[in-house]
Amino acid sequence: MFSLSYVINELRRRIGRTLVTALGLAAGVGLVMGIIGVSEGLSNAQNRVLSPLGSVGTDVIVTRTVAPTTSTASTTTTLPTSGFGGGGGFAGGGGGGGFFAGRGSTGLNAADTQTLLSANSSIITDLAKLGKPGTQFTHDFFVPGTLITFPTAALADVAKVKGVQSAVGALSLQALHETGTVPTQVATVKTGGQTISTTVKPPTLTAAQRLAERTCIQTAITKEFGSATSTPAAGASGNSGTAGTGRIGGGAGGTRGGGLNFGGISSNPAIAACLTPAQKAYQQNVVVPEQTVRQVLNAPTTNTATSTYTVAGVNIANTQSGLVTTQQLTKGSWLSSNAAVAKTEVLVNTAYATQKGYKVGGSITINSVKYSIVGLVNPTLTGNTADLYFSLNYLQSISSSTGRINEVLVKVANANDVNAVAKAIKAALPGATVLTSANLADQVTGSLSNAHKLANDLGGALAVVVILAAFLIAVLLTLSSVAKRVREIGSLRAIGWSRGRVVRQIVAETAGIGILGGLIGIGVGAIICVIIGAVGPALSVTSSGLTVGASAVSGLIGQSTTSAVSTTVHLTAPIHLLTILIAFAGALIGGLIAGAAGGWRAARLAPASALRDLG
Amino acid sequence: MTVTTTMSATPTDGSGALYELTGITRSYSKGSVTVSALRGIDLAINSGEMVSLEGPSGSGKSTLLQLLGALDTPSTGTIRFAGRNLEHESDAELTELRSGEIGFIFQQFNLIPTLSATENVEIALIPRERSRERRQARAIELLTQVGLAHRLDHLPSRLSGGEQQRVAIARALAKAPRVVIADEPTGNLDTATATEIMGLLHELHEREGVTVIIATHDEEIATQTTRRIKLRDGSIISDERIS
Ligand SMILES: Nc1ncnc2c1ncn2[C@@H]1O[C@H](COP(=O)(O)OP(=O)(O)OP(=O)(O)O)[C@@H](O)[C@H]1O
Ligand SMILES: [Mg+2]
Repeated sequence: MFSLSYVINELRRRIGRTLVTALGLAAGVGLVMGIIGVSEGLSNAQNRVLSPLGSVGTDVIVTRTVAPTTSTASTTTTLPTSGFGGGGGFAGGGGGGGFFAGRGSTGLNAADTQTLLSANSSIITDLAKLGKPGTQFTHDFFVPGTLITFPTAALADVAKVKGVQSAVGALSLQALHETGTVPTQVATVKTGGQTISTTVKPPTLTAAQRLAERTCIQTAITKEFGSATSTPAAGASGNSGTAGTGRIGGGAGGTRGGGLNFGGISSNPAIAACLTPAQKAYQQNVVVPEQTVRQVLNAPTTNTATSTYTVAGVNIANTQSGLVTTQQLTKGSWLSSNAAVAKTEVLVNTAYATQKGYKVGGSITINSVKYSIVGLVNPTLTGNTADLYFSLNYLQSISSSTGRINEVLVKVANANDVNAVAKAIKAALPGATVLTSANLADQVTGSLSNAHKLANDLGGALAVVVILAAFLIAVLLTLSSVAKRVREIGSLRAIGWSRGRVVRQIVAETAGIGILGGLIGIGVGAIICVIIGAVGPALSVTSSGLTVGASAVSGLIGQSTTSAVSTTVHLTAPIHLLTILIAFAGALIGGLIAGAAGGWRAARLAPASALRDLG
Repeated sequence: MTVTTTMSATPTDGSGALYELTGITRSYSKGSVTVSALRGIDLAINSGEMVSLEGPSGSGKSTLLQLLGALDTPSTGTIRFAGRNLEHESDAELTELRSGEIGFIFQQFNLIPTLSATENVEIALIPRERSRERRQARAIELLTQVGLAHRLDHLPSRLSGGEQQRVAIARALAKAPRVVIADEPTGNLDTATATEIMGLLHELHEREGVTVIIATHDEEIATQTTRRIKLRDGSIISDERIS
């Protein structure tokens, strides 16, 4: 085919040309290796950052959140007293099953609104129990924020959806750390107000009844004031059928409503006597809440100062999926698998620990209970990152959420089905907020995201340009070499070498250069990747995430929480066997292309050129 | 004149004419300018002849040798080599002819600079002989014949002009050709060395019976051949045999 010893001698004895061409290819493929490495490094960094869903076995998060715009926000409202005793209060109430009961409505229905307010209202109800009025208090309240809790039974609903491999419940709460003066009576807190309207239509009066009533009232008025009024108030009330618009939790409004009318009428026994029995019965019903409202009127407001942090519950029995997993443990150990021990333990987010100076082995006291810090965790950026992680069961018990969760972490059987399963869950559970890692990835911004985009967009183009430049250099050098060897090639043809043999000889030579270039290039690429890894440019990532206590509750409670979370990842440029093979193949292909060009040129040389006087 | 071609496999026709050229012209055109290098050559060369081509520079000696060596084709006219009309031969067939029947010796030696003396000789055997050992043995044998047994592994750059031309002669002989074509083989050599080289060609001609065609400026050289052909402006102006 070709003479191997000729090839070897040619490459060896023209080492200058061989090396220049080989180094050109080596630089090209080495750079490509670096580009592949950086691109993959960026992917890895992004994956690591986005892994709460990906790497900890969660593909989809199901929650029920409040839409951030609530028209009822920031209204000073006096809430009923012990009637809504924290989470427990609504659990049994009509609004308790709001999450999945509200099928068909995607918005927040009245029951949910009530549930949310009630759940977040434990602050107020508990305030009076904090100490003697006027004394200083410090207390931490756990509220679900925008993530409405729902019974753990919902897990079964999610698990039933086709394609779901497993569904794990989690509880993420916002903790309000309050300090202030214990109020003398009942605290007033800025929180969402809402109006509950009750419309009761009294039975329509028959013509005879109306006539009798009117006559009776007119008689009474004439007796009282000495003149006849053409349109008595009670008559209008009776015609419209609107009786009693009471504002529960808004006592002032209640007294200004229909009740006042009836109050006016009922204060006159003579007129009251004219009413039909049904109207009388209704009137009594309205009077009762009015009394309740009066009790809470004129409540003093407290001067509480509030700071927030987030807490979450992790299932101590399942360390492999949940809001945080053992893979994300950076220091110390996991919560004890013994529930009795676990309730005295807490895991702290590394960032929060740094900020607060918490260390493994230290302790945190919350509401007079001392928790030992057993480990530091580095929960991944997107999704729910809490500052403190407790045992789920224990957190449920201290936040009056026994048997309740506010997140379902779903693992999908087949990774390709994530979007389909997310859709199915959304269809099966109307009103649920369903988030996939792709949704979360969209929320990621910052230099990593930019760099990754850049690597995707430009890296490929850059690699192509670099490799083409290397190929072009190899081709040009080979053509110039062929041009210098015109007499030699002509002589080979003259002594009986065929065109094909000459071409093969040249291609074999450049292939040899390609192999050499590939070997050097792998070394160059490895050095580039090692240097990138050693220098490790820092990339920052910012995610808006799904932080507990986000906008809506901030609005409701009048606080702002920073929901964006930033983290820094160091860039590495990994090398794989495949990258090495790609680099080697690239250089070899470059050599073959150069050989093809040189061979094509040589094939066109006439054998007679052996005799030409080219000096 | 008797012909003894011991190594040739191709049968010759009965007439003994190795080459028959009729009405050969060869012109080169460069743009609008056309140069007629050969203008109507009729020539027959028999096997075993030792022919010299003389003529001033540009008279067409090299052009004629290229045609005889199947490196080039004439503009008009036909060339018959050992009864074959080269006009009808493909590039592959001409290559085959060159690899087996025709040996070349150049003024500039034209050795492969990166190969040793032995390897340069071997190169010519590659198209015909697959065994590397046999190629090597043959190369060493030929180099020994031309007196270079002590220079086998030398690169051309480390050989004198005369030694390089000896390597070139060995390379031309490697395939046991029927004809050796030499274009000014002593043009780059001093007189003493030129005499040595001519001696080798004489020996080759006499011992192996190989047909030798030499283009030269040098009358000394021409007088050593059996037939002197003189060219001028692309035409043969004299053709004399020396007995
Ligand atoms: N490839 C070519 N292209 C154009 N013209 C050519 C070519 N080869 C030869 N010629 C021209 O043909 C004519 C004959 O050239 P040739 O080389 O045959 O002469 P020569 O007798 O060998 O001369 P020299 O003694 O200088 O070698 C010259 O005029 C030369 O310029
Ligand atoms: Mg010439």
